[in-house]
Amino acid sequence: MGLPLTPDASLLTASDSLEVGMEIYVLVKQVPDPEAIIKVKSDLELEIENKYFTSFFDEIAVEAGLKLKEKFGGKVTVLTLDNRRVDALRRGISMGADEAVQIADPAFEGSDQFAVARTLAAYLKDKPFDLILTGRQAMDDDAGIVGPGVAECLGIPHVHSIISLEVDVQGREAKVTREVENGKEILTCPLPALFTCQKGLNSPRIPQVMNVMKAMKAQIKKVDLASLGLGPADVGSQALRVKVQKYLPPPKRPPVKMIKEDFPENVKTLVKLLREEAKVI
Amino acid sequence: MPNEIWVTAEQQGGKVKKIAFELLSAGIDFSKKTGQEVAALLLGSGLEEAAKSLTPFADKIYLLDDPSFTPYTSDAYLMSIASLLKEHQPSLLLGGATSTGKDLFPRLAMHLQTGYVPDCTGLSMGEDQKLTARRPLFGGKVFAEIAFSEARPQMATVRNNTFLVNENPNRSAKIIPVSPRIDPFSVRKKVTGFERAAGAKLDITEADIVVAAGRGIKAPENFKIMEDLADAINASVGTTRATVDEGWRDLKDQIGKSGKNISAKLYMAFGVSGAIHHVLGIGTCKTVVAVDTDPNALIFNYADYGIVGDLFQIVPALTDELKRVLSSE
Ligand SMILES: Cc1cc2nc3c(=O)[nH]c(=O)nc-3n(C[C@H](O)[C@H](O)[C@H](O)COP(=O)(O)OP(=O)(O)OC[C@H]3O[C@@H](n4cnc5c(N)ncnc54)[C@H](O)[C@@H]3O)c2cc1C
Ligand SMILES: Nc1ncnc2c1ncn2[C@@H]1O[C@H](COP(=O)(O)O)[C@@H](O)[C@H]1O
Repeated sequence: MGLPLTPDASLLTASDSLEVGMEIYVLVKQVPDPEAIIKVKSDLELEIENKYFTSFFDEIAVEAGLKLKEKFGGKVTVLTLDNRRVDALRRGISMGADEAVQIADPAFEGSDQFAVARTLAAYLKDKPFDLILTGRQAMDDDAGIVGPGVAECLGIPHVHSIISLEVDVQGREAKVTREVENGKEILTCPLPALFTCQKGLNSPRIPQVMNVMKAMKAQIKKVDLASLGLGPADVGSQALRVKVQKYLPPPKRPPVKMIKEDFPENVKTLVKLLREEAKVI
Repeated sequence: MPNEIWVTAEQQGGKVKKIAFELLSAGIDFSKKTGQEVAALLLGSGLEEAAKSLTPFADKIYLLDDPSFTPYTSDAYLMSIASLLKEHQPSLLLGGATSTGKDLFPRLAMHLQTGYVPDCTGLSMGEDQKLTARRPLFGGKVFAEIAFSEARPQMATVRNNTFLVNENPNRSAKIIPVSPRIDPFSVRKKVTGFERAAGAKLDITEADIVVAAGRGIKAPENFKIMEDLADAINASVGTTRATVDEGWRDLKDQIGKSGKNISAKLYMAFGVSGAIHHVLGIGTCKTVVAVDTDPNALIFNYADYGIVGDLFQIVPALTDELKRVLSSE
């Protein structure tokens, strides 16, 4: 860290890293795998194949947390709000997270992302965090609400969809790159802060088998609604600001028209169809 | 009842994005039912031209012209927009599902404790000013129709090409300058640099036409034929995760579950096998063309027009044919 090399430099560095170790929280969610079959059962009910994985971007967030811990020391805690599944927590532990917390309560049934964010923020508000990391969006609802929502509740800055992250622990500042439509924007942001993580930030490590086994037995701390100082009106269906009225299957595409002529007639026909039938060129 | 419909008119370098005109056109449509006025919310600096371009599309333009709004940060935008919203209480606030919209809207909705539906692919308005939003879930395997509670404004971000731009909007907006309301202590983020993407093409989420090649293109330098095709029809070039992971193409051009959802009018895929992760990103494209050497490639199940063939033969010929017919017009 650019310290002068003096006889007691090692001492300095040691105490230094103790002091600067980062407290990092990563929000993780177990979601249906993109390959899972999902069908509309009735207007308000879905049938979801039992094929789950830790949301892709959340693993990227865990990896980012672990990299910082390896550099600066400190602790990575994975946190989920889920009444049933703790697999995302175990995944986080097997990758190298130090602690895992599950927030669960029957009152959460039917919560929207805003209630999830309020609850996660209620847990985090008196923790000594330097950094909170989340996925860009969860791979089931693709909402991208929970991250910025938590940041708003905690009154800390956030940056959405980062693809690079550097931390200056002494200066308590992060430098991040955010994806925008026609390029990349580089920002500085004081800590504590929340960043939502996008592909490109890193490639998540594959946990070793040993660690996967250890993670199966790891202790998971459990937290309920009352201990967060929240009541039933703050979460669940009572707190909804938006409500699904109806699920629909995706609109059906008409069957494909295969153009079977030989080259180059097929190309001419395609252009003709695009102009005269589809009218898109 | 609240008497205004609001649209954030996102601009870049003083030029208003197409999505803003699409949303204002939708707003004008809604206003015919609800009898409300349509207002554009324009933030930035040096906005004279931008305001002028919006005038036919709105009854009012709330103009927040101040250097602190360039470039965008949620810190500066949030306080100013939130206090304006509290003052005027519109029934609706729409924005594009852009990198800015996705950064700002969820936080703003949490701040206002109001309802927000992200990344919509359809909106409909009732005479009672109640919005119904439609959006894909699980990457488009299911769609949901979503209603809002009584909290106002009803907020939504919307994908490009969901609405057509009204050719004859016929309004003439009054410009209402508003002074920024930024608490300097709440502005914590600083934009220190910007790297413009190579080439002048629109982002794949913004382009009307997207042409993509997957691993079938075999080598990064072969994308030249895709660029040529794109140039002929003013398209942007997309790709699959396979080529991004190989390091052949930039991540920003990846279509699919871990990349971007596109809603192009025309999407043409060459040497793309059609893995579920990829096609989840093209579900709301209007017309899809697939070209692949493998007659059993899954991509044909998602296409409107298909050709079994070699992309190295088809793409250059298609470019020439398109140039020929377009120049003879
Ligand atoms: C969690 C997760 C997320 C993912 N997210 C995404 C995502 O966002 N986007 C994405 O694209 N993928 C994603 N994938 C990867 C996806 O599953 C596929 O592996 C990928 O889409 C395949 O890319 P491809 O079609 O380019 O390559 P391939 O599957 O290898 O297909 C190449 C095609 O080219 C054809 N071909 C070969 N030569 C020619 C020729 N000369 N002319 C014409 N055709 C030819 C072949 O017949 C084949 O159909 C994800 C995977 C996972 C597990
Ligand atoms: N129930 C949850 N528990 C923990 N983290 C969550 C939960 N839901 C969402 N998140 C986090 O917030 C991100 C965005 O989620 P969403 O707003 O649902 O798209 C995810 O990638 C997770 O990092």
